[in-house]
This record gives sequence, structure tokens and C-alpha cells, in this order.
Amino acid sequence: MADARNTLAGLAARSVRRVAPVPSLGRITRTLNLYYFWEKRWFFIAMAIGAVMLVMPRPAGLTEEGMVVLTMSVVATILFVTEPVPLPTVALMIIVGQVVLLGLGSTEVARSLMTDSVLFIMGSLMLAVAVVRQKLDRRIAWFIVRITGTKTSRICLGISVVSGVLASFVGEHTVAAMMLPVGITLITLTSDDPHKVRNLAAVVLFSISYGCSVAGIGTPSGGARNAIMIGYWKEFFYNADDPSTAIYLVDYLKWMLYAYPMFLLQLPMVTAILLMTFRPEYRDLSRACVKLRTQVELEGPMKPSDWVAIAIFALVLTGWITLSADLGMGTVAVMGAICFLVAGLVRWEDINSGVNWGVVLLYAAAISLGVQMKETGAAIWIAESFLSWLAPFGADHGIGLWAAVSVLTTGVTNTMSNGAAVAVLGPIVLKMAVVANESPIILGFITAISSAFAYLTVVGTPACTIVYAAGYLKTTDFLKVGWKMAVMSTVMMLAGAALYWPLLGV
Amino acid sequence: MAEKDDIQREMEAEHERRLSRFRILVCIDGSEESFRGLDYAARMGGADDCDIVLLYVRTIDQGLHSGGLQIRVARENLLNWGIELPGVRYLREGLDLLIGQGQMVEDWNSIHTHTDVEGDPLGDNKIEYRNNQGKSIVLKLKTAHDPASGILDQYELGPYSLIILGGDRKRGFFPRQVAQQVALHAPCSVLATRELVPGRGHLICTDGSERSLEAVRRDALLAKRFDKPMVSIMSVARDDGEKAAAEQAVERARNVVAETGLDVINTYVNIGDPVEEIINVGKDYSLIVLSDDGKSSFKRMLFGSVPSKVLAKAHNSVLIIR
Repeated sequence: MADARNTLAGLAARSVRRVAPVPSLGRITRTLNLYYFWEKRWFFIAMAIGAVMLVMPRPAGLTEEGMVVLTMSVVATILFVTEPVPLPTVALMIIVGQVVLLGLGSTEVARSLMTDSVLFIMGSLMLAVAVVRQKLDRRIAWFIVRITGTKTSRICLGISVVSGVLASFVGEHTVAAMMLPVGITLITLTSDDPHKVRNLAAVVLFSISYGCSVAGIGTPSGGARNAIMIGYWKEFFYNADDPSTAIYLVDYLKWMLYAYPMFLLQLPMVTAILLMTFRPEYRDLSRACVKLRTQVELEGPMKPSDWVAIAIFALVLTGWITLSADLGMGTVAVMGAICFLVAGLVRWEDINSGVNWGVVLLYAAAISLGVQMKETGAAIWIAESFLSWLAPFGADHGIGLWAAVSVLTTGVTNTMSNGAAVAVLGPIVLKMAVVANESPIILGFITAISSAFAYLTVVGTPACTIVYAAGYLKTTDFLKVGWKMAVMSTVMMLAGAALYWPLLGV
Repeated sequence: MAEKDDIQREMEAEHERRLSRFRILVCIDGSEESFRGLDYAARMGGADDCDIVLLYVRTIDQGLHSGGLQIRVARENLLNWGIELPGVRYLREGLDLLIGQGQMVEDWNSIHTHTDVEGDPLGDNKIEYRNNQGKSIVLKLKTAHDPASGILDQYELGPYSLIILGGDRKRGFFPRQVAQQVALHAPCSVLATRELVPGRGHLICTDGSERSLEAVRRDALLAKRFDKPMVSIMSVARDDGEKAAAEQAVERARNVVAETGLDVINTYVNIGDPVEEIINVGKDYSLIVLSDDGKSSFKRMLFGSVPSKVLAKAHNSVLIIR
């Protein structure tokens, strides 16, 4: 922010020094500082669209409150995608909008911000920092190489499998941050010249990022979006007085039962697609592996603190599986963070600087807006309009609807973060399921899983963003291989939804 | 108080010193194109009155895209493994390139400076190498909201004569053409490189106006910095009626170039749409040189101009003289 201010001050100064040819226009340029407006144009466009929507005649079937919430969602979505202002600002605007435009009580809005899902997102992020700090990455790398041998293709499969399995429990961003140095070390130890190992770098680094991305769907702790969907199911359909609605309480194990096989099926495909797209320059990485081994030996044997860290994480995992029905997944995650802090394995300062708290706030606000979409009837109105639009294509029911939802989610998630995509689309999709007489569980899963298919862009999934930050990949690489991944994943998921889920009885 | 005055005076003296020198700001983003730009700057800036500043702009993390885990956690992990961060790596590659070109030797004095940037632990870092003739080469790692504002901000820190940057860089789903933004707002000349091949000479475009003739003179001086300067001149008439004026413009430009002691290789007078003609003829040259049209950055933004259209559409490098 300070940076932006400096820039603005600098630009203001610049326009003062400039001698404008037309005095009147020049004076306006100087006093108004139009560059600021140009930089923030999407903010003003979004605001203008919002204002127009509010004064526009209301479409039939939509309540006044529904229209306000719909407007807020549209404006928020534009701001999410174009990012003219820091994203937590959008969260604050959603809070203020609910009080001012919808007329809800301030305390009521504040209370709606914190749910078990948000607590879970917050706790998982704290755990993520704690896990990365344990520096177990060298040992994991050595473990992979010992099992796979030194052939490039086998190492890449090993990296995808290990990254994936870890990421499905610890969260994709955590594993991406842990494994990134492993990948780069393997590349740089093979050759110092980045031009000679371009394809090798792409294969190794994409093995990490896509391995983590496909794993994010595996368990609720794989990514924030899963927790958000679980929260929506409970909020939308669960009624404590009606025992038949208990199927909408999805716990850790139930989620795994649905989604884990999908993840496992995708894993070998990731390596196959990567090896076919980028042909690595070196078929054997034995030179790098020998050097890696010396690095691991320098670390010495496993320390007691390493074992404690592993034990705590195992406990958290058991807690999620056995206790989350009673205590909530958020509580278990926070308990894990407490254990790491008490054991002295991570400092609070590290957690504080490693977690972007603005994102927690953003998810909180997005979920609270999503709940309002349901309360005011905006969600069902959009769901009905969308379905009537899909009907001519025969995509308003069955597998056609599933595919439509999946494509919609994949499209949205490639332009913004996947958590935000689920928070925005979740309520609409769940209401569509109700209107179309489909199972909300299935459509919910399809949305949550499709939101992981953001392989095309750098900003799509956390793992891609983190791996891209190392500077070895180009944005065009993502396009080159991403579409194949997206097609593969979509086909796999729809096949799973049609063939496997019915066996589970939904 | 007296101390503050001293600092103020020192800064002003430094500013004055910089104004008298030919300062090139080369923006490095790790792409081959940006290193070609640096190579070009090294050929241009061999003399002792020329400073070269290498800039890498790292954007501030938004956090949402990395799922709420700050990217710095991953970066610190990289540093723990002894792996260089991309910016440092690119700047070092750039420095190696300059050393390889004989631009500098190891025994120059070096000064390290660090400036804190609010909300970012790494901040801005700078290493300045200076020889005893006062020639300096600076490596700068900068943090900014986005590349374009970082580059423009860097201009404010020290006036530059020329900014060199890669012609188009696309990032994410929405291509943000950094070069166009910088060319729009920068107060100095901007060279946007695109498949830059040195040694094919400059194509200077002129409309015969005072402003554009001044640009012709300045580009001729710039071209003289190279070993074998080659300049050609072009003017475009929209229709036959304007042809005489265009021919006259070329003639006047030729005189301006001759005054600086250079010979003009080719001259062109074409009829048609200026943007298309310039791009077409210009593709055989190292650079297309255009004069800024003197509009304010706001008017350029709204109405566009020949230079910015050529910049957006040309197949090769474009230099806008300002």
C-alpha cells in the first residue's frame, strides 16, 4: 500500500513537471492525477455496474434483498478477478455492504464471519507454516530417490506421488513450499546452465505443482475450498430436527471416501502427460542424486524434535478423522497449532508473518456473503435462470448438468483463486441441484473438485503460484500442458461421478 | 539541522552529476529478450560518461493466489537450501554478461545499500560498482506493486536518459503490457526490445516538425555511441498532396544527421497509413526510432498516437525519443 502511495506521489510529481501542450487539459491532468483513476479503473467500473444494478428495475422473482446481494456478488467477483484494490479490501467492503445496503445488524454480520470452515482455514494455515519450518524436505527428497532410483521418469513419478499424498493431508501450498527447493536442487545439480535443462525443469517442477494440485481434492484439509463446501452443505441443508438431513454432514472420512480415489487415479496420468509434453534432456539424474545424498548426510540422523513434529501431525490427522464430527475440524486444526507452539517447534512470529491473515478475512466475508445469497433467495434465482438457459442444450439435468457445472467452475477458477471460486459459485450450484432435482452432494463435490482444475494459469492454484515464484517456468508453459491436464481431470471426474459415486449410495 | 542540509546538498549534487551523464536503465525479467536489451545497452554504453543500471522488479505478493500461505515462506525455504532467488540470479547473469563484454573489471569499488519497504521484509536492495572515472554500474532489486510502476518509480529515484525493456511480457490471464505502460508514462526515451538484432542500423521516422527534428538529432548522437553507426530516414505522407512535405521533412532530417557527422544510408518517402508503412519498412532494421508526439500522458492514453501504435504492433524493437 505504501508502495502504491509512493508511486502515486511520484506520478503526481511527474505530471507537475510535465509541460502540457493544452493548458486547460494539462491543468486538469495535474490536479486530478488521472493515472490513479486509470490504475484503479476496474474499481470504478465495478462500482458503476453495482450502482446501475441497484437502480435497475428488479427482474421478476427476485426480492429486493436478493437484488442487493446479487449486486454485491457481481461487484465482488469483478474485484476478485481484476484486483484493482488489495483483496482484503473486498472483504471489508462485503462486511460494510451487508450492514449498510442490506440493513443487517452489525453484530449479526460480525458473527456470521466466523464459522468452523473459517477456523479450519486459519488453523490449517498455521499448521502449514509449522510444517514447512520443520525442514524435513531433504529427508523426503532422499526418501523419494532411494525408492525410485535415478531414472528421470521414475523420479518425477515419485515426486508427484509423494507430493500428492502429503499435500492431500497437509494442504497443497505447504507441500509446494517444501518440495520446491528439492526440485530446483535436482535441476541445478544436473546442470548449471538453465537453457540446457529447460524441459527437465518443467517436468520436475510441474510434477510438484500438479501433483499437489490434483491432491488438493483428496481430503478436506487439502485446500480451503473443501472446507468451504462442507460448510455450505451444513448451512444450506442440515436441519438438527430432521434426521434425514444428516447425510449433509460430510466429515473427514466421508469426504475421503468420495474424493481420494479420484486423486489416486489422476496421479499416474500427471507424470505421463508431463513426460509426453516436455521431453526432458536428461534421462538419468544420478549425478544430482549423489550430491543430494551428501547434503542429506550432512544433516545427520533424525533429531528428537523431528519425531515430535511428525507425531503431532499424526495426532492432528487422527483428530480430524475421529473427532471432527464432535469438535469440528477447525478446533482440531487449532489444537494442532497449539501443540506445535507449546512444543517450541515454531515461533509465533513465524506463523504471524507466514500466514496471510487478509486471506482468512476474505474467505470469512465470501462465505458470509454466500450464506446471504441463500437467505435472500438470490442463489435460487440465479440457479433457475442458469438452468433455463442450459435447458435448450439438454444440460439441465444428469451428466449434462454435471459437465456444465464442471466447465463453469473450471472457467471461473482459472481467473481467480480456487477458494474464492467455490465461495462464490457454491451457493448457486447447490441451489441448482435443488431446482434440477439432483443430489446437492454430487454437484457440490463436482464444484469443489473442478475448482482444482486451474492448470492453465499461474494464479489458478496455490501450488502453481508458489512454484512459479522460483522463476524457472514461463506462463506459456502452463498453457502448453495445462489444457491436457484440464481435459484429463474433467473426464476422470465425470467418469468417477457416473460410475463410482453411485456405488456409495447417493 | 546542519546535518540535514548537508544531506540535502549532497543529494542535489548527486542529482546534478547524474543529469550530466548518459544513464541507461535496463529492466531485466530473466527473459532472453531482456538480456538482448542489456547486451545492446552494453554496446551503446561503453564510454566512461555512461552509467548502466540493471533493474529487477519483484511484485508484492497478494497472498490469495498462494492459498493464504505467504510466498515468502517458500522463498525463505529456498534460501535455506542455498538456492538463489530469481531476481538475484537474473541480476548476477546480467553482471556476468557485462563483465564478459569487458564493460567492467572486478576491482571497481562497490557500495551496498538497502532500503526498507513497508510491509515487505526484503525491501529494495542495490549494489553500485564505480570506477575512478566516475562510471558506475548498478544492480537494483526492487519491490513494487507491479512491474510498470516499479520501473516508473525507479525513474523518479534518479533521472535516466533511456529506459530499455522487453517489448511485451504477458503475465497471467490478462496480458499487462508493461512496455506500453512505461512508454506511455515515462518522461525519458524508452526502447522496447523485440527480437533485437544489433548491427542493422536505426530507421528514424520524422514528420518534419521541430520536435521530431530534435529527436532525429538526439538519435544520431545516440547512434554515434556504437562502433559502426548506421541511420536511415523515413517519412510517410498520408496522400499524394502531402508528398512534397514528406520529402522536405526527410531532407531536413538528413541535414540534421549530417551536422552530427554521420552519413545517412537510405531514405524513404512512402504514401499510406503511417503506422503500417513504418512497421513494414522498419522490420529490416535493428530499431525503429520515433519522436514522442508531445502529448501529455493523459492524452496519449485517451487518443493513442503513432508512436504508441507502432510500439504495440511492430515486429521488432522500437525506440521512442522524448
